[in-house]
Amino acid sequence: MVTPGTSERTAARLLRRPLEKPWMPRLAFAPPNIAPRGDTLVVIFLRGAADGLNMVVPHGERAYYRLRPTLGIPPPDDTKTKPEERTIDLDGFFGFHPSFQPLLDAWHDGSLAVIHACGGPDESRSHFKAMELMERGVADERGPASGWIGRHLASLDTGNSSPLRAVAMGTRTQRSLSGSVPVSALRSIADFHLGGNQHLLDQMRSTLDLLYEGDDLGKDTLSIMNTMQSMDPMIYKPAHSALYPETELGMALKQTAMLIKAEVGLEVSAIDVGGWDTHFAQGSTTGQMPNLIEELALGLSAFYADMHEHMDSLIVVSMSEFGRRVSENGSLGTDHGHGSMMMLMGGNVAGGRIHGQWPGLDEGQRIGPGDLAVTTDYRDVLSEVCVKRLNNPVVSEIFPEYQPRMLNVVRK
Amino acid sequence: MPISRREFLKLSALVTTSAALSGCGAIYRRLTGSMSVTEWSPMDEHDFTVLNRLTFGARPDERARFLEVGLKPWIEEQLDIQSIDDLDCSLRLAPFRSLEMEANELEAISNQLFENYDRESLPAELRLASLIRQVYSRRQLYEVMVGFWNDHLNIFTEKGNCFYLKTVDDRRVVRTHALGSFRELILASAHSPAMLVYLDNHVNHKGAPNENYARELMELHTLGVNGGYSQADVMELARCLTGWTVKDHFWLGDFEFNADLHDPGVKYVLGMEISDSGINEAEQVIDTLSTHPSTARFISSKLAWRFIADDPPEELIQKGARAFLDTEGDIKSVLRVILLDGVDFVQPKYKRPSDFVISALRMLHAQTDGRGPDESLRGMGQSLFGCPTPDGYPDNSAAWQGNLMPRWNFAFRLVRGEIEGTQIDMEHLLAYVPDDDLTVRFDALATLLLGVPIAEPFRSGLMELITSGGTNEEEMLQILAAGILVSPSFQWK
Repeated sequence: MVTPGTSERTAARLLRRPLEKPWMPRLAFAPPNIAPRGDTLVVIFLRGAADGLNMVVPHGERAYYRLRPTLGIPPPDDTKTKPEERTIDLDGFFGFHPSFQPLLDAWHDGSLAVIHACGGPDESRSHFKAMELMERGVADERGPASGWIGRHLASLDTGNSSPLRAVAMGTRTQRSLSGSVPVSALRSIADFHLGGNQHLLDQMRSTLDLLYEGDDLGKDTLSIMNTMQSMDPMIYKPAHSALYPETELGMALKQTAMLIKAEVGLEVSAIDVGGWDTHFAQGSTTGQMPNLIEELALGLSAFYADMHEHMDSLIVVSMSEFGRRVSENGSLGTDHGHGSMMMLMGGNVAGGRIHGQWPGLDEGQRIGPGDLAVTTDYRDVLSEVCVKRLNNPVVSEIFPEYQPRMLNVVRK
Repeated sequence: MPISRREFLKLSALVTTSAALSGCGAIYRRLTGSMSVTEWSPMDEHDFTVLNRLTFGARPDERARFLEVGLKPWIEEQLDIQSIDDLDCSLRLAPFRSLEMEANELEAISNQLFENYDRESLPAELRLASLIRQVYSRRQLYEVMVGFWNDHLNIFTEKGNCFYLKTVDDRRVVRTHALGSFRELILASAHSPAMLVYLDNHVNHKGAPNENYARELMELHTLGVNGGYSQADVMELARCLTGWTVKDHFWLGDFEFNADLHDPGVKYVLGMEISDSGINEAEQVIDTLSTHPSTARFISSKLAWRFIADDPPEELIQKGARAFLDTEGDIKSVLRVILLDGVDFVQPKYKRPSDFVISALRMLHAQTDGRGPDESLRGMGQSLFGCPTPDGYPDNSAAWQGNLMPRWNFAFRLVRGEIEGTQIDMEHLLAYVPDDDLTVRFDALATLLLGVPIAEPFRSGLMELITSGGTNEEEMLQILAAGILVSPSFQWK
């Protein structure tokens, strides 16, 4: 039953690298730039339009308290409320929601920065449209359908061919990642474990060893898989006794940390956190949204502690499609607004500062139906991150038809 | 409509006796849950490659028919799609009621009134239905061509209202014209709300032109990037296409030509003077584009690339282009030339993720509702209707060779029954193979999946590795099957 010659043909197949034909449209996309990779980028997208005004509170604004009589977070010096329910003052005007307490370490270390009144130009106040445009990195419906991170990866050849160059944490691949570079969706590192008992597993691995002997890509993949095989988020010991919360975000950040430490070629990790669409019973210092804020803070602070030694080559971005109406609505919640808030965390962030120009919340300062204005385009922030921290100078490729302003939110 | 288990059993009792003779085999298989498996034998490597290019992975009965009648009659049988009984596949599609709906019905069932639109369910049904068709339809060449045109006229279901409009496009444009006239195909696509939304033509208005669709219509759908058009042609065609939009009130989601939004006056496209004639202007240009020599060459090239090789011979491309021009773009005629004249030039192509997943499911006679495979394809980067860029998923081997791990993962999970909604019955599959010799069963599996037993030294190496382990027979068979699926050879078609 042996058919001599088949293995040679197989080898010949493996060596085949077909040439691109000039008449095929845009199939081969040659990266215009070749450079060593920069920081590992972790993007956390707060889905549903997070209420930036109750996360980083403008406690120096009288209008804030006038428009949010029940939802407003009490000012730092409010003696009528318990100290643990008051805004944590940062600079005399802004302060953290009390549930952001765990982020104070990073803030005081200068590794956490806030850009307030930040967002995109779209004023549809539609989650879907705003998310789509923001993830594509475009101002309106025209322009490339791929995502800004996808274009960043495609336009920068870092010589990294790892199948884990870009990872979507969770089941859905974020739109921002779409483009010509393959993206792995990773619910759990355990998904990459081959199932079955140890014995079966060894046999499967030996099978792959045998079959991919002499194939570089196969061998690279095997070694990554072997690395992952020994990684188990359930028994992982974070550094500095960091404690990740038992939430999807906590799990995603923990696995991101594991992949970074395992050096498997991770350049981008994209994480979604849902639940921020708080039209109803939002809660001020306790309840729905404070829980989300706390989850975010606990996740980020655990990651910050665990990755302490890696912070110089890390940049974490949190963003949301838009913010929420300044005045609370009739059902103890907030409706769709406009300006939002971004946070950056990392060793080279110009941290411990609130960046951006504050437009104010008074009549005449708010826009549309009464929303925080956008004074910093989110693409300004991301462009600077791409150029200074990701080693990618071709911002025109990532955010076409956009001229970014540099705000010095990160250091080169 | 779902049938209860009890009804299933009652029906199956009725059809059991006559199933084999009366053409009810499909119903019988459907009811009993197992598929008939015919015997298979080793196949010439070239024939195997050719057959796997014409299908999503040939099953033994397709191999047998191919060897019995030969290439040309096999292709003719496949091109005559109405003559191919496809009851089994139709029964499996019965639960997907959205497939036959019109745009306004699709909009209505996704509209959750006070909540946001359900943007997930309809694209998911379309993906699952497409996967089921690729696995179970006996009209394999037709399904391969449907896939080809869905790439060529790519639409991303996450863009705007494409999430419900694509269902109509898939049915009315791609599936209706996949083996028909190229001109009709492009004309239908130009009238397809999903395409108009995907490429922004629904907002292409007098005084506020949007060139996106006009450009891709020439660059990607017809002439090709070097097909001899200029930026001025794009702008003029965009003017012709102003007012081609989508209804947003009555008959919501249907095509509409809105004369008020149309830019009047004479236009000049590709050297032709197009007189001021409303909707006729773009239709006239599409006539010219769809029978243009550049288009003939472009379509012939893409078909040759898909079916023959990443680097097809120039002579074949020219022959296909000539057939295109001689028949004014009759897709079957061009396909015959590419397949019959190209057969000697067939070179291995790396399986795209969907080829890999579907061929594994088909060849192993898996029972699947599509859910797990759909999820796996997403992880491999080829979710159906999930390509954001208008050029569709790449069709060259190099583009897909970087991501092996999800394939390995899929293979191991498939043989262990861990893919959602998907099972393989190994004993049923190997019913014809003596069960007392593992080597014989291994060779049979390899012959099923690769056309021939696996090559030495891998064959003895794998056998030795697996038999020395002391696992039970079932697990050994699983590892052998997975070993073949993960092998470099199975990654090529």
